[in-house]
Amino acid sequence: MRFPTSQRLLTGAVALAALCAALPERSQAAWSGAVSVALWAPLWPATALLSLARNAIRPSDPPYEGLPEALRDALAERDRLQGELDAASLRLRQVETELGELTGYRPGREDGWRPRLATVVQRSAGRPPGLFVIDQGPEHGVDKGDPVVVGGNRLVGLVAAGSAGAGRSLVIPLDDARAGRIDAVVMAPPPAPPAGAKPPSKPPAPVAVLVQLLPAGKGRLVGEFDPSGEVKPGDPVILSDATWKPGAQGMRIGTVEAVGVLDANPLRRRVEVRMDADPARVGRVVVKVSASGTATGGRP
Amino acid sequence: MRWWVFLPAMAIALSVDVAFMPVLALGPFEPRLWPVVLAFCAMYASRESTLWAALVTGLWLDAAHATVVASAADPVPSAVPIIGPHVLACLAGAWPVLELRAVLYRRNVLAIAFAAGTCAAASALAFVALAGIRAAYADAVPLWGTGSGAAAVGVDLGSALYTAVLGLLPARLLHETLPAWDFATAGPRFSPGVRIGRDP
Repeated sequence: MRFPTSQRLLTGAVALAALCAALPERSQAAWSGAVSVALWAPLWPATALLSLARNAIRPSDPPYEGLPEALRDALAERDRLQGELDAASLRLRQVETELGELTGYRPGREDGWRPRLATVVQRSAGRPPGLFVIDQGPEHGVDKGDPVVVGGNRLVGLVAAGSAGAGRSLVIPLDDARAGRIDAVVMAPPPAPPAGAKPPSKPPAPVAVLVQLLPAGKGRLVGEFDPSGEVKPGDPVILSDATWKPGAQGMRIGTVEAVGVLDANPLRRRVEVRMDADPARVGRVVVKVSASGTATGGRP
Repeated sequence: MRWWVFLPAMAIALSVDVAFMPVLALGPFEPRLWPVVLAFCAMYASRESTLWAALVTGLWLDAAHATVVASAADPVPSAVPIIGPHVLACLAGAWPVLELRAVLYRRNVLAIAFAAGTCAAASALAFVALAGIRAAYADAVPLWGTGSGAAAVGVDLGSALYTAVLGLLPARLLHETLPAWDFATAGPRFSPGVRIGRDP
């Protein structure tokens, strides 16, 4: 029996293979599964037999081999119960985390907003791949411009305008340039008292230095500030932007990573801020939803 | 080349690769039998037959390798076999053997083992290159799985070397079956019905 080996047929087959190789998986999902099953069906008996041989050569270790049967059964029962306990403990930890996310907020005005726990259900594959989708939408009271936080006070981003589907919202992370310019405050430590001076009766408050930040991607924001303020790496940076909703004010953006000169404007200095929460890694977030009738300000 | 010999031989090789070769794995390096069979064919068969054999082998391999596709609508990710990349990779693996066979002494099992290693290495390089191209526009996770492409190439090249070393024995066995294949370039001494061996 000779297989048809015409040059033209071979070229066509290779071209078809190249076309298939270039197709995205959604274009193949409808038929490639059936092709796979059909191609591998003849191999199944041999594969099953060889698997038996492999298991005979390298058997999996039976648990508690050599022990009396009663002791073996007791140990197996203990393992089963331990498994159930581990699963329950895991669930308990998960519920505690969710509860902590919800109760970790102590807002100045309880009536201004309420927390809404959300899960990140999708991440954008576009360029840059910063946007993500949460499973809370307008049906749940989430509105455009609502701040999104994790860990109590670490700001991640804000809810974008536009629909992401029923019961879903798109979130623009802070480090995405589409979030726009952000006014913030660096909480610089107070200047040290002069040598020999009497220590103050109460600890001095940190000095707020205003900065204007621009998202630079990869969890970084770059800004500038007046050199009269003392800013050092490690100082916390919090949001203080009138265009953001009240619930976002005072939320922590990140930490000062570097301070340098601003060549374009010698009268001001450059600051680099590293976000405390990495938007690319968050799985559960809290949306600070404005309570109806009390929300003031906010982005249009 | 007799296809009714090649297809069962490749089916057995793929079955062994899938079900049995993990026993012989040395860390991440796992030997493969399919490059040995394909390289054996490439050493003796006509150019067209070899390319067809590579195409069939690649199709089989593609059917076995599903990629995981996560969907926002469904929390359970789906597995989709992608037909095509292994086909092209196997063609790329068979091609250097076709070019090299003129300078190899093919009756020597070392030559077959060397050809098998070359075939496995070339196909691995081609597959990672194709998967990298696909990852740029189609696949959220590259077809080689997690880790970098360089790491995948490193593991595949190590496996190709292991394949070449371990391929000495199957190459010897395949040589014993040479008359059954009816290769175009094996010469009249290996045509069906002609007795071979050391016996007078």
